[in-house]
Amino acid sequence: MDFSRREFVKLFAFFPSILRSLTLSFKDDDSLKESMFYKKLPEKKIECQICPKKCRVSDLERGYCGNKENRGGKYYSLVYSKPCAMHVDPIEKKPLFHYLPGSRALSIATAGCNMECKFCQNWEISQFRPEQVRSSYLPPKKIVQLAKETKSLTIAYTYTEPVVFYTYMYDTAKMARAKGIGSVMISNGYINEEPMKKLCEILTGVKIDLKAFTENFYKKICSGELKPVLNTLKLLRSLNIWYEIVVLIIPTLNDSITEIKNMSSWIIDELGDMVPVHFTRFYPTYKIKNLPPTPVSTLEEIRNTALAKGLKFVYIGNVPGHEAENTYCPSCGKILIQRVGFMIIKNLIKEGKCPYCNKVIPGVWSNPL
Amino acid sequence: MLLINRRDFFKKSAGILATLNTSLTFDSLLKTTKKGIVIISKEPILNKKGISLNDISNWLDNAIIKLTKKSNAYEAWRTLFTDQDFIGIKLNCLAGKRLSSSPFLVSAIVKSLKKANIDEKRVILWDRTTRELKRAGFSINLKSDGPRCFGTDMVGYELNPEIYGSIGSCFSKIVTRLATVLINVPVIKDHDIAGVSLGMKNFFGAIHNPNKYHDNVCNPYIPDLSASPHIKRKLRLIIMDGTSIQFHGGPAYNKKWNKSFGKILVSLDPVAIDMVGYQLIEAIRKKAGLPSLSEEHREPVYIKTAEEKGLGIANQAKIRRIIL
Repeated sequence: MDFSRREFVKLFAFFPSILRSLTLSFKDDDSLKESMFYKKLPEKKIECQICPKKCRVSDLERGYCGNKENRGGKYYSLVYSKPCAMHVDPIEKKPLFHYLPGSRALSIATAGCNMECKFCQNWEISQFRPEQVRSSYLPPKKIVQLAKETKSLTIAYTYTEPVVFYTYMYDTAKMARAKGIGSVMISNGYINEEPMKKLCEILTGVKIDLKAFTENFYKKICSGELKPVLNTLKLLRSLNIWYEIVVLIIPTLNDSITEIKNMSSWIIDELGDMVPVHFTRFYPTYKIKNLPPTPVSTLEEIRNTALAKGLKFVYIGNVPGHEAENTYCPSCGKILIQRVGFMIIKNLIKEGKCPYCNKVIPGVWSNPL
Repeated sequence: MLLINRRDFFKKSAGILATLNTSLTFDSLLKTTKKGIVIISKEPILNKKGISLNDISNWLDNAIIKLTKKSNAYEAWRTLFTDQDFIGIKLNCLAGKRLSSSPFLVSAIVKSLKKANIDEKRVILWDRTTRELKRAGFSINLKSDGPRCFGTDMVGYELNPEIYGSIGSCFSKIVTRLATVLINVPVIKDHDIAGVSLGMKNFFGAIHNPNKYHDNVCNPYIPDLSASPHIKRKLRLIIMDGTSIQFHGGPAYNKKWNKSFGKILVSLDPVAIDMVGYQLIEAIRKKAGLPSLSEEHREPVYIKTAEEKGLGIANQAKIRRIIL
């Protein structure tokens, strides 16, 4: 037992002051918003239809995400207008490399996630319930206003999993679009077709975390499924919305060359060879602290494998200053966008084309709204 | 620098030794007392007209005497707790006043502890949130006389997750830092996902992420949580509040499927008492013409898993029900 009795006696001697010091600024706010996409069932139960988990939730219970609750047969979001994180980030941090390079994104998140990745970098907010984290009250209108004030061209729904704060994201993105501000969803792609389609009517970009290319990894490491994520990627392609893919490479868990070859082949066959794919470096955190950071050599081998398979835009992430952070023309091989970390050193793309050979470079190079 | 005088030093050392001594006494009690004993009140005393706090407290005293095989209530309670312990009483207050641990029963428990010379200020009545406690009829108390009463939201969760089998969670600081021992006071109810919500399931309220452990009828998550040292090593006693039984439509209160019961169940064995509670629910479901939980594909197999993990007795043939 880690508990120290001496520490306890000390603690209890100063009980009231300890209580005060440990007290969270917990907002017991009852402002609720009925969630989109759920089905009412008999006996006051509901079935959530936003993500493939399809949680059947009884009265007073919550779904897997922990941020929606059934109250008397109605399903409510407990995080509407309650972001627990907000920053102005370079769009490269998402990462989106072919989307308005060098622009700012007002980035927000609420508590909750529909997966539980054992390597989650943001587990302190994604794996907690809304009442367990500090949050602010920022309705969609205020978010849009803040985006304007911070000269952000885009609002990014990110850090945790925006699928689980769908209603808040949808309303904010809709309002932002009307004001000429774009919206990008930084997501695990674990979402059902109908809500994704509806969302794509107002989003201007999507980044999907493809966690691995095996069902086993999704099940054991993420408490999710691979197939629905692949379906989302195919849907994004068919809807003609801009999207990029990120794969976090974790030593021994998803770094086999065979898996990378299979993944690359699938991407080329189903999505085409021009979709940007970022292979990023893992650092130990949350429930995976027993593995080392991904060796850079592993990332380089994986990148070379993907390029050899035929993918045209393959990046290495979380290794600031690496040459694979740059965008190269797939035709003439020259550097088009030079980056160091999240900083743009130079951007030579003109009207979406390579200035040397006129090759069209896919992406969103000017404000789409 | 923390200054401590000789008197304080000896007082605190004595306290620590006494607490360690209780653990040893309790461990030997579990070894010598047969596991699988569940005491059930003969009468529906919780719902009986004119019943007093004293009556309930006296009944509890007798139940603890039976369980510990001591000759009097003082010795019996003191086998489980010392006056140096901080006793966390875990309540279940999710479903409001009509289906939560009753303040009346809890007051009787505190009364019995006081009779055994345990200072009520060393008792913490707790659940996940202060709001839920209030809704169930408990008065929040941080520093005045009487037992403390507050939710985990007042003190938070540990900052790092701990992994025990299938569970990886941040535990309530009430469990990890404040309480040295635990009494579990669950209710008896059907649960849409877990099958039943009784004693072991009640500790989902001690971790930050219970919603992640609903797959596979909560198995093996519930036993893994009960097997974690924070629960297993601190849990001394389970007193199940049977004011009513929600035999279907849980975990919320639902009048249509709620039956007045009025009995109290007491045990040192977290698995046996859950098995008895589960059988009570099944019996009422059968009488009401409802399918069994097994037929509804939500049999609480986690109770059997808990037995396999050595947490207690689930085999009904080995469970001894004592009517008191």
